[in-house]
Amino acid sequence: MQDFATDAAEIIAREKHRVGRRRFLLGAAALGIAPSLVRRSLAAVPEVVLCNWGGDAMKAFAEAFVAPYEKATGGKLVLDGSGPSNGKMRAMVEAKHVTWDICDSGVAGIGELGPRGMLEPIDYTVVDRNRILPEFGYEFGVVNYMFSTVMAWDTKVVKTTPTLADFFDLKKFPGKRMLRKDSQAMLELALMADGVAPDKLYPLDLDRAMRKISAIKSELLYWDTGAQSQNLLRSGEVSMGWLWHTRANLLKLETKGGIDWSFAGGLVQPGLWVVPKGNPAGKQAMVAIASMQDPAGQVTLLGAMGNGPGNPQAASMVPDALQAVDPGTPANLAVQAKINAAWYQANYGTALKAYLDMISS
Amino acid sequence: MAARGDRAAFVLLVTPALLLSLAFYFWPLSQVLWISVTEPSPGLGNYAQLFTSASIAHMLATTLRICAVTTVVTLVLGYVVAYALVHARPLIQRAMMIGVLLPLWVSVLVRAFAWIALLRREGVVNSVLLAGGLIDRPLPMIWNEFGVILGMTHYMLPYAILPLAVQMRQIDSALSAAARGLGAGAFETFWRVFLPLSLPGLVGAGVLVLIFSLGFYVTPVLLGGGRTLMVAEYISLQILELLRWGTGTMLATTLVLTILLALGVLSRLVDLRQLFGAK
Repeated sequence: MQDFATDAAEIIAREKHRVGRRRFLLGAAALGIAPSLVRRSLAAVPEVVLCNWGGDAMKAFAEAFVAPYEKATGGKLVLDGSGPSNGKMRAMVEAKHVTWDICDSGVAGIGELGPRGMLEPIDYTVVDRNRILPEFGYEFGVVNYMFSTVMAWDTKVVKTTPTLADFFDLKKFPGKRMLRKDSQAMLELALMADGVAPDKLYPLDLDRAMRKISAIKSELLYWDTGAQSQNLLRSGEVSMGWLWHTRANLLKLETKGGIDWSFAGGLVQPGLWVVPKGNPAGKQAMVAIASMQDPAGQVTLLGAMGNGPGNPQAASMVPDALQAVDPGTPANLAVQAKINAAWYQANYGTALKAYLDMISS
Repeated sequence: MAARGDRAAFVLLVTPALLLSLAFYFWPLSQVLWISVTEPSPGLGNYAQLFTSASIAHMLATTLRICAVTTVVTLVLGYVVAYALVHARPLIQRAMMIGVLLPLWVSVLVRAFAWIALLRREGVVNSVLLAGGLIDRPLPMIWNEFGVILGMTHYMLPYAILPLAVQMRQIDSALSAAARGLGAGAFETFWRVFLPLSLPGLVGAGVLVLIFSLGFYVTPVLLGGGRTLMVAEYISLQILELLRWGTGTMLATTLVLTILLALGVLSRLVDLRQLFGAK
């Protein structure tokens, strides 16, 4: 299953620079091995290795985060694009051979790895709580950027701006519907469509969400990768779908409004920095995280990848053209619900299993 | 003396390969087995899920159903092609062989996307049928089990055709001629002479296709529309996302054992070395 960070890396690789696949893979491979080849210096500031999902996200991260950090601290921040999946982090921690200091993860990451004791707690004496939304600072992870799951629709079929409830009205708007093959955000949007207030979502009523979704099960298609979600809408396979705002926006741009979307009724989710247990640079990882809270770098990332700044103070620096696609501006936040990571920590496994059972039966 | 020297040389030649597979194949595999009986707690708890978990049972049933249908369809189609191939003139045979081998070199991803382009709602096939007035609404040909089985069968056909053709080539054509000479009709000759003689090839190809099908990942993910959850995807989900390594390794071990069992049965029925063209 693909997660948001992987997809963001893919978008930038394809849309911004159109690098060849070969070069892309070569680059990722080279960068993936590079950190292990670099001998850790004995200088006062230990080198910090940040693992993300590769591709041209490497370039965006380098510009947004690496340069400012190195300038401010004199230390080194090395990017590794080999993709910190939960499975890989666990394998590293259990083998007591951790090579990453900071990983680009999410709610499912802290939910699965945190309770198993595989993450270092975030040190909020170093990382500034005033530079994040209070909801998105957790014990084992802190917001890095924000993204949303939103509704998009084909304007050939859906001629007026639809509500979430319309998603389930096959008579009003014919055509198939598209969901993600992962319960995260799908359950929340289904419950809101069923009339649950955005601030009363948690604890999620699993049965109610499943009932709502399975009522139109025969008309549902499910996407696995971000690119797939874009394809299904673009090629007319579905008339409405729930997908990441970055992909929805690309669709709107490339179809010149033929596919439209809105933050209204969406779910904001944080991309999270996590630190694997026993990371080589120790506390310096927290210093690097704090440095990356600087709004300027986060706005750079928004411009390059569409990932919204995790620091609310960045809002005033976001150029007008990007305001509409930034999930974290006050106006956009006001019409969306926010994910609750605590619920995921206790229930993600169960929810995902129930969801997959429902769609595959 | 010479025999002993040969033997030593043989051992010497085989040892590096054996050590390599021990270090890089059997050792990691044994760890998979180890995790499956130690996590989250020692014992066979993970294996009990095979009988107690409704979702695993459902997923395995889906996997087996799709693999069984794929195998049967592949065998029928593969048999027809192999039969035509071995009975064709040499030039045609060569052309057919290229036709069979060519898809083998095309990536499984590319093939899945080709099927999507052909079969989707506004795809080539539906457009032609709609324009010709043969149907009045698009046929649902992908994003379901039909699409998965179609894609998998397409992938598996060479693996059925090649062993079948090898087996059929070894059938003495004089036998069929003799049957005809003794008064059997064309069908009877095929049914009572050719088919029984080609049976080992059929069994071999069947087991081969079944084994390959069991581990299929890409095609079901791309053509199944998210609705067909098969064992390979289920394992990857458990290992990479949910960190339920006990469940994931248990299913992986079960898959490997099933395949070994199938190979064991196969080796009883047919000569493996002959089947894979090593003899």
